[in-house]
Amino acid sequence: MSGRYLLRRTGLILYTLLVVSVLVFGITQVLPADAATMLLGENATPEQLAAIRERLGLNDPIWTQYLRWLGGVVTGDFGTSMRTGLPVLPQIAEALSRSLLLAALSIGLMLVLALPLGILAAVRRGRPVDLLVSLASYVGISLPEFVTATLAILVFADWLGWLPPTGYVPLTEDPARSLLHLILPVATISLILVAHVSRMVRSELVDALHTDYVRAARLKGLPERVVLRRHALRNALLPTITIVALDVGYVLGGIIVVEEIFAIPGIGRTLIVAVQNRDLPMIQAGALVMAATYCIANFLADLAYAALDRRIQYG
Amino acid sequence: MTAVLEVADYTLDYATRQGPVRALEDVSLSIARGEVVGLVGESGSGKTSLAWAIMRYLAPNAIERGGTLRLSGTDLRALKPAGLTAIRGKRLGMVFQDPSTSLNPTLTLGRQITEVLEFHRGLSPADAVREAEAMFARVGLRDPAAMMRRYPHEASGGEKQRVVIATAFACRPECILFDEPTTALDVVTARQILDLFRELQAETGVASLYISHDLAVVSGLAQRVAVIHQGRIVEQGATRAVFGAPQAEYTRALLAAVPRPDVRLTETVPQPGPPLVAVQDMTVRYGRPSLFRRRARGVIGASAVTLDVRAGEILGIVGESGSGKSTLARALTGLAAFEGGLAFEGRPIGGVRAMDRAYRRQVQIVFQHPDSSLNPRQRIREILARPSRLYGGEGDVGALLQSVSLPADFADRFPHQLSGGQKQRVAIARAFAPRPKLVICDEVTSSLDVSVQASVIRLLVELQRSSGAAYLFITHDINLVRQIAHRIAVMQRGQLVETITAEDLATRGPQHAYTAQLLAAVPRLDIGETPDDA
Amino acid sequence: MAELLRRLLRSPQGAIGLALVLLVLVLALAGPALAPHDPEALSPLRRYRPPSADYLLGTDQLGRDILSRLLAGARATVLLALLATALGTLAGAVIGTASAFLGGKVDEAVMRTVDAVMAVPSLLLSLLIVSVLGRGAENAVLAIAIAFTPGMARITRSVALAVRQQDYVNAAIARGEGAGYIVLREMLPNVIAPIVVEMSIRVAFAVMLFATLSFLGLGAQPPASEWGLMVSEARRFMHLSPWMILWPAAAIALVAVGFNLLGDGLRDALNPRT
Repeated sequence: MSGRYLLRRTGLILYTLLVVSVLVFGITQVLPADAATMLLGENATPEQLAAIRERLGLNDPIWTQYLRWLGGVVTGDFGTSMRTGLPVLPQIAEALSRSLLLAALSIGLMLVLALPLGILAAVRRGRPVDLLVSLASYVGISLPEFVTATLAILVFADWLGWLPPTGYVPLTEDPARSLLHLILPVATISLILVAHVSRMVRSELVDALHTDYVRAARLKGLPERVVLRRHALRNALLPTITIVALDVGYVLGGIIVVEEIFAIPGIGRTLIVAVQNRDLPMIQAGALVMAATYCIANFLADLAYAALDRRIQYG
Repeated sequence: MTAVLEVADYTLDYATRQGPVRALEDVSLSIARGEVVGLVGESGSGKTSLAWAIMRYLAPNAIERGGTLRLSGTDLRALKPAGLTAIRGKRLGMVFQDPSTSLNPTLTLGRQITEVLEFHRGLSPADAVREAEAMFARVGLRDPAAMMRRYPHEASGGEKQRVVIATAFACRPECILFDEPTTALDVVTARQILDLFRELQAETGVASLYISHDLAVVSGLAQRVAVIHQGRIVEQGATRAVFGAPQAEYTRALLAAVPRPDVRLTETVPQPGPPLVAVQDMTVRYGRPSLFRRRARGVIGASAVTLDVRAGEILGIVGESGSGKSTLARALTGLAAFEGGLAFEGRPIGGVRAMDRAYRRQVQIVFQHPDSSLNPRQRIREILARPSRLYGGEGDVGALLQSVSLPADFADRFPHQLSGGQKQRVAIARAFAPRPKLVICDEVTSSLDVSVQASVIRLLVELQRSSGAAYLFITHDINLVRQIAHRIAVMQRGQLVETITAEDLATRGPQHAYTAQLLAAVPRLDIGETPDDA
Repeated sequence: MAELLRRLLRSPQGAIGLALVLLVLVLALAGPALAPHDPEALSPLRRYRPPSADYLLGTDQLGRDILSRLLAGARATVLLALLATALGTLAGAVIGTASAFLGGKVDEAVMRTVDAVMAVPSLLLSLLIVSVLGRGAENAVLAIAIAFTPGMARITRSVALAVRQQDYVNAAIARGEGAGYIVLREMLPNVIAPIVVEMSIRVAFAVMLFATLSFLGLGAQPPASEWGLMVSEARRFMHLSPWMILWPAAAIALVAVGFNLLGDGLRDALNPRT
């Protein structure tokens, strides 16, 4: 891997964020909400509104407004929330930290479950275990998060009373209770991921087990576990890295729903509140941060892939 | 001599939706120590099924109907999985057709041989590395220590096949199955691998089953040969006896289909006068400029090639893969941009844009793979009617099918309902539909079986005679091109190294060193009295 | 076509998927006619009923028949999801094919931009679009279609590029065929199959996305009986009658499973190697 590749890749990330910023800014500008009215309320006089428009630069051409906003973003100034009147950045950063904990736990749980399930199904292809995993994963990918979450609350909180239904406790405040509150949200996000990734692992491994080199390894007389571990799994799990990275986009979508249902004050809930209140700076910052997270996850996955697969030479 | 490998009355079926299909019927075969037995057959003959059966690597739908498989007295069919791992790789080895897929891309070449040494011979990792390096040196790999650390994508096809062979010989097995080990390689490399095989075989005395569709290769290697057809061994015996005086009808047909450079198939002579096509200093570059890289990475496909084709002439172009012979075909048909001069019937064609309908009509192409060159979603009728719709003129699909000896009712079929040879005939009929003056044949027979290949060649020769079209006949098969071409152009690494008439090549021999090297590497069918190598 | 159907029915996924999808389509089209009760009829005396002979799936918080509401809602959920997917596929196919055909720098620029748009999660993108266009089922459809476009563009392009490499396209170029003939007659019939597979799987996703938007209050609006909305409304009463949640949830899952199975079955059936 060359320095040129890293440079190129960083350039692509910046281009992606630029496109996202145009997209988000463009969409939010069309929002049928007048920032001045939002700030002053319905009873403001036309003179007051005109004054504040002038002060906020709302009368400038749209690209001037965009460049001013972008300039702020680049220097770490995401503006102030129209709803709370506080700077956006600290709120977003705090919400993001909560969401990242949720996402990391979900992806971790997913890996712990999806890899063994996928491998088991592939090795026992066509047997009852395979069928069971297949069936379960079909149901898994067909349940939207809001359904899973609602049913989970119904069963584990309402009926069984084992877990708290909703709410959020900071990890620093009471780790045990914090994790207890995170169990249902994490399980909800993981379910669909486990279903998807285990299917992918299975199909990659089935393909790998049918390659000429795995056949060659078997015909060299190597025992099946060596064939599986050394020859098949290695090649099957590499593409999984990319799949998991692409699923990060899905996790971010899931987080929006799950945080809303479980009342977790993360980036997803922040966004929904912002959308409901047409809080433009907050929407813009939240969407940009989500896209950046996705980009970085995919960048890291590419680096990991390149480090593990000698064939790939990024030039 | 006692047999090392013994197959007796072996019968195998495959279960399919339409009921069981016989793959092997009463196959009997034995190989003694030090012996090479050739197993010759076309695709679908069952030769590979036999190899899988011996290796005990049967498809899930395989049903063994009876017979015995023995390796020095061990009943292979009775082996349990644990017993099997003790036999495979240790007493019974296998070398595969394509080294680029049979080596694991994510393991070093060294690891893929040391794992065998560690497992079967119980060597310590350090000893295994030492032993593997010695084996690498033995199979002629330069700098074995460096090769140990390389990955498959960092080695050439020949080097990879040497690694596979080293691995097969690593545990000094009693018997090795060679499944078309040179088919995926270029002529010169294949020759080197064959020489290596001979040496190692003589040195170790391993009983070898050499499976191939190539009678010429087998005739130079095997002491005994078995000819397999539709799951049955139709003839078996000493190589010279079988190939010299074949008893079975099928063997005779197979032998007759092998291209023999001394037998001319073409009787036409090119027309005198100015050339039909004149190519002057043609260069083709591949690669396109990207958003981030301004200049195209100029991979050169063909470099400053100059040649001409006369009306009614068959110009053969031979070369190994990557020599640029297909690039030339792509340039002449407007599939690749070129620099340099091109003139058709004296009319200069400045570039791809200058190739008008008249030129396109006169210059037709037939590709290597009929699977890919016929649109799977169009019926044969639509495929064959298209040229006349495009260029005008009458388009009698029935007559076109007849001209390539196919029944008229094929018009309503889809390509996937035809065999490979039939599909190639359709592609040929499409090319001849607009009555072209030049037909470019790009490896048109190399994906076909020997006997099908022979009939397609006969068809092409006949069409050439009746239509008077010129051919640009691109192939890697030098024996074949010597049978039909008037002149032969030899290409190497994008350059034309020699153009020589077939007659001169036969009488005076090659003028260029590379042509000589190519000719020397080509296996010849050895049925005469003087042994090729013994 | 008959051949494809036969191959499709051969695999269990294909057979079950096709059966489920056909059932759902029939219910979606004939739903209101089949409904045993008026889905809007309130019966204050028969609230929170568990399943019974009269009300096969029970009643909701206003005493409305859940089965009738589900049948009425099938149209909103399934047909609108189909519409959204079709729109997104069409837009994506046009962009993807054009990009593959134009090639070079245009292709690279288009694809980098498509990648960039894909960095915004589908749900977030639809959320943003709905917040601009306003709440409502039609806008949700449009939002889902837009959110699907980049993904479909990417898939169409890769399929088109693969087909572009085939020798029958080379043969057509060598023959001197025009761009129109090559794209429409040679390429398109071979590009459609993989896109149909992808589309079928996407419908499942669209059903889920559409229901999610309605659940969040941004898609279908009350008193519509869209399934996501039904789940959302039922949450407040789930300790009174869990049936109100279970039925629409099961309906969403069933439809999504059906389209997922059908997509996988089609993929196998269209694969010439099997």
